[in-house]
Amino acid sequence: MTSVRKTFGTKVAVEGIDLELPEGSLYGFIGPNGAGKTTSIRMIMSILFPDSGELEVLGKKSAVESKDRIGYLPEERGVYRKMKVLSFLMHMGRLKGLGGGAKLRDHCMTWLDRVELADVAKKKCEELSKGMQQKVQFIACIVHDPDLLILDEPFSGLDPVNMRLLRDLIREQHEAGKTVIFSTHVMQQAEQLCDHIVMIHEGKKVLDATLDEIRTRHDPRTIAFSPLNGLDRGLVSSLAGVESVDDGEHGVEAHLAHGADPGGVMRAILAATPVSRIEIRRPTLEDVFIEIASGRDGDAARLREALRGGHDVAGEEEQA
Amino acid sequence: MSKILQIARREFVSTALTKGFIIGAIIVPLIFMAAMPLIIWLTMLAEAPKVEGELAVIDRSGQVVGTLQEYVDTRIARDREQIAEQMEKSQELTGAMGPGGAAQGEQALDMVLGEDPEIVVHDLGAEGDEEGAKAALRPGEGEGGGEGLGSRLGLAVIDANAVRKGEDDEAFGAFQLFVRPKLDDRVIDSMRDALREAVRQGRYREYDYDPAFMDALTSVNAPNTREITETGEERASTQIFTMMLPFAFMILLMISVMIGGQYLLTTTIEEKSSRVVELLLSAASPMQLMTGKILGQMGVGLSLLLMYSGLGIASLVYFSLGDVLDVWDVVYLFVFFLLAYTMIASLLAAVGSAVNDVREAQSLQTPVMMVMILPYILWMPVTRDPNALWVTILSFIPPVSPFMMMMRMTSSQDVPWWQPPIAVAISAVGAYCCIWFAAKVFRVGLLMYGKPPNVRTLIKWVRMA
Repeated sequence: MTSVRKTFGTKVAVEGIDLELPEGSLYGFIGPNGAGKTTSIRMIMSILFPDSGELEVLGKKSAVESKDRIGYLPEERGVYRKMKVLSFLMHMGRLKGLGGGAKLRDHCMTWLDRVELADVAKKKCEELSKGMQQKVQFIACIVHDPDLLILDEPFSGLDPVNMRLLRDLIREQHEAGKTVIFSTHVMQQAEQLCDHIVMIHEGKKVLDATLDEIRTRHDPRTIAFSPLNGLDRGLVSSLAGVESVDDGEHGVEAHLAHGADPGGVMRAILAATPVSRIEIRRPTLEDVFIEIASGRDGDAARLREALRGGHDVAGEEEQA
Repeated sequence: MSKILQIARREFVSTALTKGFIIGAIIVPLIFMAAMPLIIWLTMLAEAPKVEGELAVIDRSGQVVGTLQEYVDTRIARDREQIAEQMEKSQELTGAMGPGGAAQGEQALDMVLGEDPEIVVHDLGAEGDEEGAKAALRPGEGEGGGEGLGSRLGLAVIDANAVRKGEDDEAFGAFQLFVRPKLDDRVIDSMRDALREAVRQGRYREYDYDPAFMDALTSVNAPNTREITETGEERASTQIFTMMLPFAFMILLMISVMIGGQYLLTTTIEEKSSRVVELLLSAASPMQLMTGKILGQMGVGLSLLLMYSGLGIASLVYFSLGDVLDVWDVVYLFVFFLLAYTMIASLLAAVGSAVNDVREAQSLQTPVMMVMILPYILWMPVTRDPNALWVTILSFIPPVSPFMMMMRMTSSQDVPWWQPPIAVAISAVGAYCCIWFAAKVFRVGLLMYGKPPNVRTLIKWVRMA
């Protein structure tokens, strides 16, 4: 993607995003709701077309020419309610260029078996639970063995067991050499799965790095602990390398000065006061995101709220 | 191409091979056909109660009432005969009169007419009280009254000069018949005819003419009109078919276009509202999706058209009326179906893609539906004068063009040979424009949720796409 821009009416959904995804990588698109993730993905899929800028997908000028090599799980997804599960999958397979009757049927059944849905193959889609439908949709998206997988919020609405099943399937695709892009507004999911993170905020790319790079760049600067007895804050804050002490959401948090050695400070705290628990707080993606985004508009609390509650920062894109 | 065919295939299978469709499109019309005699029978049954009552007469001429009862009785009998004759005639026309038909006819007649009405003439005298007698006709009066004659059905006031013209009269007098409300019109007719007959016979007597000779003199008994066919055969006039044929063709065209189009609208809305559409768009382009859907539902409409027109043609041939059909009309029926369907369906696909649910589709769908209703409303005037200027003009304006031209071609007058091909050409251009418009709306509309658009928004989308 090169300086891609898309507007809906007066609202700018995506503003000048540059992005390059190497083949075989596992990319996470993160950002709060309404940040422009779905719009970007739809443009990659050639469902929407950018107002300006250029796109190249699998070496082609547009995804239209390589649709059969892409598997796409949209965020706004559905199934034909009256259609039987197996017929639906076979229909999607044929649309994706797979031929053959019995062979295609076997192929679909194998996949249904993998996600433990073989027994509902003859049922109508509307009889399935939402989680089951979602697994069916996932099969519909990879049934033609695509080289590029684009998953828009694949985990939303799944229980932990199915979430793990889906995560394993995605990992498996990645290990088979497929390129995977998935978007989520739940940062932990990206953290667990991706090796590369792209962060989008208000239509702009604010971060594009591997998980390791992010961790080293945003090195641990907080030590959280739970003191056993009463705490003499003055004592802790006077320790070498400690900048300030306050009550955070993980207990008492000692923020380290720039360049301080976290191990040394930890030992000093242990020597100063007995604790029931002490840990070095590694920054989560959420922290990183808030650090980056709040640096731009300085409203960390609002952003944290948006990420947690998942309510819209900028409204539905389609409402334009 | 294979994607389009796969989409079309799913569209056809999921529409035409469902219980609902088969019941709706095939079984319901069959039930209607089977139920038709039953419905007719039931309607007739409802009219069957025996009519009994008196006909009061104030005969100012004094020369009619004496013979009236006789004529009332013969009249009722003769009316019955006439109805029987008419029924026979209509049966001959439709060819439904098989062996044993006569006996069936008699039975049917009993069902239609019920028992003969019994009307008793009640003479109120030449100087009878007209106002008082009228009052007795009011509903609720006279029923079960003391006279023991049942209810009073009517009052006839016969003029003094009805039978003999006075010196100064320009013409004969006549009679005035008053009846109670809601009386079966067959009973009224019988009373009127009997009165007329009684007056006429009175005049013959008065002026000394032989009634039998006069009857023979005034009656001209011409047999039914017969048609000579191309092969020289004779048969009853098929005039009713020449009226019905354009209607049948237009209705066939309308039903198959409408059903295909409606299904297209609902499946598009369903795909959009169930959010399956984005999954589809990841596999096929909007244009492929729309083309596939239109083709699939075209198959549905075409199957209906084939089935219904096949049935129609088969029954015409069975009753050896096959020659009222021109082969070219049938060929054009299918050509016009393709064109009319493409126009209507692509517009409906655009509507379906633009709205969120069926309810929202109503207002956008109305103009399209109006186009379909127009030929239906214009059926009568068009068949009367199929080459009128306004009809000719309408038959060249898409999207009504196919319907109008079809009606003109199947009506009794010939359409100039060059007009149908031109209508086809214009409609083809119209179809192309509709697809062009629909494709643009379809592409934008499919992923738009929220406020239902109006026509102005649609035009904006067309400019945008």
